[in-house]
Amino acid sequence: MTQYSESRKQAHYSRLFRRFIFLTMICSLVPLLFAGWAINIHYSRFARERTMNTLCTRVDYHRKIIELFLKENRDRLDFIARTHSKSSLVEEGQLTQILENVNRDSWILTDIGIIDDTGEHLAYVGPFDLIDKNYSETIWFGEVMEKGIYTSDMFMGFRKVPHFVMAVARHENGRCWILRATVNTDRFRSLVENIRLGKTGDIYLVNSQGLYQTSLGSGGEMMTPAPGFDGIAHPHSKPECYETTGRGGDQRIVCETWLEDPRWLLVASQGKAELFKEVRYANRASLVYLHLSALIILIVTILITRHMVSVIKKRDLEVECMNLQLMHAGKMASIGELSAGVAHEINNPLAIIMTERQLLLDTEQRARITDEVFRKQFEDSLNQINIQARRCKHITRSLLRFARRTRSDIETVDVNQFIKEVIDLMEREAKSDGIKFVALLEATLPSILSDPSQLQQVFLNIINNAIEAHEEKACGVITITTASAKDQSGIVVTVEDTGTGIQNSDMGKIFDPFFTTKPPGRGTGLGLSICYSIVKQLGGLIHVESEAGKGAAFILELPLTPPEERVKKG
Amino acid sequence: MIGSKILLVDDEEIFANNMAKLLENRQYKVTAVYNGESAISALEDDKFDVVVLDLKMPGMDGLATLKQIKQLGLLTETLLLTGHGSIDAAVEAIRLGAYDFLTKPCEIDDLVEKIEGAWRKKDDAWKIDMEGKLKKLVESPSSVFDLFD
Repeated sequence: MTQYSESRKQAHYSRLFRRFIFLTMICSLVPLLFAGWAINIHYSRFARERTMNTLCTRVDYHRKIIELFLKENRDRLDFIARTHSKSSLVEEGQLTQILENVNRDSWILTDIGIIDDTGEHLAYVGPFDLIDKNYSETIWFGEVMEKGIYTSDMFMGFRKVPHFVMAVARHENGRCWILRATVNTDRFRSLVENIRLGKTGDIYLVNSQGLYQTSLGSGGEMMTPAPGFDGIAHPHSKPECYETTGRGGDQRIVCETWLEDPRWLLVASQGKAELFKEVRYANRASLVYLHLSALIILIVTILITRHMVSVIKKRDLEVECMNLQLMHAGKMASIGELSAGVAHEINNPLAIIMTERQLLLDTEQRARITDEVFRKQFEDSLNQINIQARRCKHITRSLLRFARRTRSDIETVDVNQFIKEVIDLMEREAKSDGIKFVALLEATLPSILSDPSQLQQVFLNIINNAIEAHEEKACGVITITTASAKDQSGIVVTVEDTGTGIQNSDMGKIFDPFFTTKPPGRGTGLGLSICYSIVKQLGGLIHVESEAGKGAAFILELPLTPPEERVKKG
Repeated sequence: MIGSKILLVDDEEIFANNMAKLLENRQYKVTAVYNGESAISALEDDKFDVVVLDLKMPGMDGLATLKQIKQLGLLTETLLLTGHGSIDAAVEAIRLGAYDFLTKPCEIDDLVEKIEGAWRKKDDAWKIDMEGKLKKLVESPSSVFDLFD
């Protein structure tokens, strides 16, 4: 496994990770945020409208109260004028009586007077000295003479304090007289000025000329012009709400409605920030929840994706490992076929060599050879031919056995014999590296039911590793021990070498796929992992003991019979 | 048994000839043929005590030849020569009625030992056969002609 392909794989998984995250985001976060923001915006607009409607309703409610107050007083004056004649009203004490009656419950009227059609006071009751005043030049006198009933704007008049009057004109015996009363300004102002609209709210009345009819808590005296008032552009009876910039530069919401009579504008304004505080709070809270949910989804997505990618990685690794195992098994099978072919081909000439030798031997016995030196050499040569032919025979038999074992079969295995064969196969290679085999085989070792071809693969692998572990040493010993398991349930085979051993840090990873201490390209790192899976499949155990620098011992525990499913497969 | 008649069947001519010489050196009467078909015609022409048959031959192989030999119903025993890898075929051969098998390359002494074993078995079978025929002869003398079949 080169580092290059390793980094490519890593890049592939990173890409996969990013793609998963991206797709999950598109599928979950985008709709969530889209829906969340849309609902939020919609809700905010709705909540603002509701808040403004509430303000309008309040303003309308106060308009009705003010109008009711004014109408009540107008009606009261009208009633007095209709039920009394001028002569009875100007009688001594009569007006005083009426004023007292009117003001019995609360002080509503400041003064009351009777004025004739020339503007002269006929009678007057009140705190001011107005009995000799002539009103023919005043605005309200003209208006009441014309309309019959009239409520004035706030004005200073003869008393030089802001007040407004109500007057009713009556005709009696062809002449006109007027009942005029001043409404208690403080009482009227309290109707408006006592209304509270939060901390930043103002509510006031403006007449059609744009003069304050009530004073403002936040500055703005009575009778002074209201800023930004553009006159009666569109008198409307329904309250109208709009946003504007206040004197302090802050945004304010203004709601205004016109009174029926007099034509005064009731204006309520409140700081936008204060008015929409609740809306803004709900808005922010919902956005916080929304983004918190998005964050949780993001975190969960990352965690799930990481887990999924790691599962995929593991599966990929398993598939790769399996493919390599298959490849290895395929390779072993083709080696097996090749060996069988070679062994058969060699067997025939070998058989002929052996018969030729036998013929020579037969001939020699019948012939009379007198040359002793020749006879000795002849016999030695025939003997050597015999030894070498037997050796060849031995080799071809080993090869054929190996070939047979590349098929997967469960059969009786004499492990001692098996070990001897494996040693035979490996001895030559080991000898050239200066390594000696020592076999300590238990004579009474029971035969086991197992798969000889797979066992062979395991032993060849372990012995190969053992030989390679001696690379840095001039010579070494590989000791193979067989013994019955203590509980007689199987056998234990130990392959011990005197090689470089295994580093402590590597002990845990030694059976992991792709773990290798060999330089890149020299080992797949699969040998021991395959051994591990084979031994496990055969119902056995494999573990390792090692001391770095002194060697390692692989201990295989094999059961007398493999697990049931293997027997059925076999 | 000295003088036993052996039919040696092997496609490897040199091996067959060498083996024949070796067996002749040991006082056997040997006929070497190089394929299954020749073996069958040889058996039809002559009587043999033991047939030594190579398992792996081009054309008619050892097992097919063995089956035919058995169909002929001759009083003869068959020994199989096999490679090490074809133990299964050897086992099949014994099931079909071969006396035994030997793995190639083999020692001449091992072969001689097996041939002797095969001869004894054939001889026993011959004796039983003869006894039966004699008994029949005693019971019904007219069956004397059966002896010369």
